[in-house]
Parts: sequence; structure tokens; C-alpha cells
Amino acid sequence: MSDSPDLDRYPELRRAVDRRNFIKSAAAGTALMAFGGALFRIAADDLTKQARAEKRGDGRQRLPPGQRVIEFLRPMGGQEGDGDVKTFKLKVHGLVKKPFEVDYAGLLKLPQVTKEADVHCVTGWTMLAGQWKGVQISKLAELAEMTGEARYVILEAAHGYTANVPLKEATMDNALITYRVNGKPFALQHGAPVRGLVPDLYFWKSSKWITGVKFVKDDAPGYWEVRGYHNHADPWKEERYG
Amino acid sequence: MDELWPRIKKRWRAWLRAVHRDFGYLAIGFTVIYAVSGIAQNHIEDWGEVSYKSYEQTKSIAAVADDAPDDVAIKAVADAAGLGTPTSSYRAGDEVRLEYANGAKATAIGSELTIQGRERRAFIGAANWLHTARNRHGWKYVADIYALLLLYLAISGIFMIKGKLGLKWRGALLISIGVSVPIAAVMLSGPDARAKRPEPATAAELQPP
Repeated sequence: MSDSPDLDRYPELRRAVDRRNFIKSAAAGTALMAFGGALFRIAADDLTKQARAEKRGDGRQRLPPGQRVIEFLRPMGGQEGDGDVKTFKLKVHGLVKKPFEVDYAGLLKLPQVTKEADVHCVTGWTMLAGQWKGVQISKLAELAEMTGEARYVILEAAHGYTANVPLKEATMDNALITYRVNGKPFALQHGAPVRGLVPDLYFWKSSKWITGVKFVKDDAPGYWEVRGYHNHADPWKEERYG
Repeated sequence: MDELWPRIKKRWRAWLRAVHRDFGYLAIGFTVIYAVSGIAQNHIEDWGEVSYKSYEQTKSIAAVADDAPDDVAIKAVADAAGLGTPTSSYRAGDEVRLEYANGAKATAIGSELTIQGRERRAFIGAANWLHTARNRHGWKYVADIYALLLLYLAISGIFMIKGKLGLKWRGALLISIGVSVPIAAVMLSGPDARAKRPEPATAAELQPP
């Protein structure tokens, strides 16, 4: 004997009620999962709260708006280079008097620096206080005898990827051609063997699998810049999209 | 012709449903691929690139002496890595780098050895590869056909059922809700809404009062 004789007598009504119950359960389950996920994210974010309370030497907040802190670089994809130190070559060219090319061993023989820098991905994550080792782009400019006409630096990478950076930001102390972070070599997905680093702009400007540094007079928007991302990419102004 | 029109009038909804059903079957494989990789792309800031499972392991080793011959240095690092015989080696500066047939890499820097590698995740790796149709001309057109199938499924779905479960009541309500969600998103936070939002003129304005 059923508890709901009416439904037994009207199978179409039973089907409708069953469907309604299913939709209600599915909606409740989805809401519960979303709530749980949001709660987990908020609770686990002490690093972000701490970074928001800090300031940089230049007076800006350490954490740019809309960013949250993660502990390790996150692989974001891209068309990878071969990652091979044996075939690596870095070409320094453009508006310079002495263009040159170095291999990996040659790069390691150039004057080296280790800089602490935070990096900010346009998708919203930030990794704090990485120890980045490499050669300053300003040093490459000096070695190649960059001419006074240069206004921009194009960081060239595997498969024709480029990122354009104003000369001022590309030649800051912490802008590097880097091959090590926190004492470790880069994994292939992070740009091995050598990548760019322009930490005060969104991280897509720090070309992975770098192949060249070109000094130019006129701006030449790069791979992401012509696909709707901001030409400058200042994280503190949230210059994410063009 | 006189006979055809009444027949079409009577049967069009049944034909529309039959085509909808068959297109639905055709679309299943594509939908699973695009939905799964779409979710992965939506959450790339949380999950990163999920096509691979990467690993990294660090070991302390006896530092390789600067004046050690290359073959001695390479053997010492290979022994410490314990991954078998490397397929390739390279020494420069303070680094000794070894590569293995499975793609793993062992890099010794001073007294620290880092082993890095990754394994492709078969399904999501293939789904992501298919989803990014850019620069793959043949697949791009296959993906276009799938998009057209989806358009047919969406539009034909509107007319599949008549009466209060169709466009007259439930259908109209749900279509309105479905359409209003992307419209609201664009109005509230789309590119034009963002352009109207005042940007801080100087870094100082980013600081709390």
C-alpha cells in the first residue's frame, strides 16, 4: 500500500513530482558545493590577508588589487620551447651597437644577480618573495651598447611569442633574464631553461622559453597584447585587458 | 504542393525532434570534450595547466667539485639521482644537468639535486589539445561544425514541445532567465562597464585612507 495513492493513480503526476524532487536535490547539492568551496577558499587565505597588510618600498600595497597569494608558481600552459640547455641561445639585438648571441654556458658567465621579487599573474594569483637568479636586462643593454633611440624592449620567445615592455620597466634592477628561482632550475612548464622576469608587470610579460631581447624605438604589441590583453599590464592599476 | 503543405504543417515538430535527437547523439563526444576542458580552462588560475601531472623532488648530495672532470661529475650526479643511465648531459657554471629517456631531468646545483618531470594526463590532456583549435586548420573546421550542431540543438529545443511546457509558459520563463544571465554579466562587469569605472590616477590613490 503506497503512502501516496493519488500519485499511483496518476503516473504522469508521479513523473512530474519525481522530476521536481530531482531538480530540487540537484540545486541543493550544487549550492552546498559552491558554498563549501567558497568557505574553503576564504578560510585558507591567510597569506593573502597578510600580504594585503604589507607595503612595498615604493609605498604601494604589496599585493595588487584583485590578487591572492599562492605558494608556488602555477603552470599556465602555452606553446612550450624545447627546454634544452644544449640548444639554448639568447639573441640580444635591435637598436644596439654590438648585437650578440649567448648560449647557456655563456649566459652563466655574464654578471649574475639574485633578486627577490613578487610576481603577479593576470588570472589573479601572486607568488611572493621568489629568489630569482639571472642577468639584468639593463646589463644586456649595456653589453650590447643600446642606442639612445630605444624606447621599448621586446622579449622574444619560442614559436614567435613576444611581449613588449617599456624600456623603463625592462631595465629596472629586478628585471632579469632568469634561469633559477629559489635555487632551483625552471621546470619546462615554467619556461625552462631560461625565461624573462619583469616582476612589476603582469607575469605574461615575463616571457617563458625566451630566445631574444630586442631593443626597439616603436612599440610593438606582443602575443597577448593583440589578443585583448592590456598593452602595459600594471597590476596596481589592474591593467588586465585592453 | 497542395498535399505537401498540410503534411509539413502536421509533421514538422516530429521531424524537428528527430533531427534534434540525432544531432544530440552526434554532439555527445564533442560536448564531453569541450565541457571538461572548458571547466579546466575556467579554473586555470586555481588548478593551473592540468594536461600534465608534474613532479619535483629535491635531494641533498655531496657537492660536485668545480675541478672535477666532466665524466666524474656526471657519474656522481647520475648515481645520486638514481634514475638509471641519462640520455644526455650538460655541465655549465655550477650546474650539472642530466636528461632521461622518460623526460625526467636531474639538475645538480652545488649540493642540491632537483629532479623534475611530468606525466601527461591522457583524457584531459587530449581534451585540452582539441579544445585549443587555434592554428590547427583541419580541426578548426570540425569544431565549427560542432558549433553549428549546438546552435541547431539550442534553437530547435525551443520548438520541440508545445503547450504550457513549451514556449507559452515554462519555456519562455526559462529562456528569459538563461538569456538574462549573460546580459546581466556584460552590463554589470563587461568591457564597457569596466571602461566606465574610474581608474586610480596615481599609485597613491591605491592606498587605504
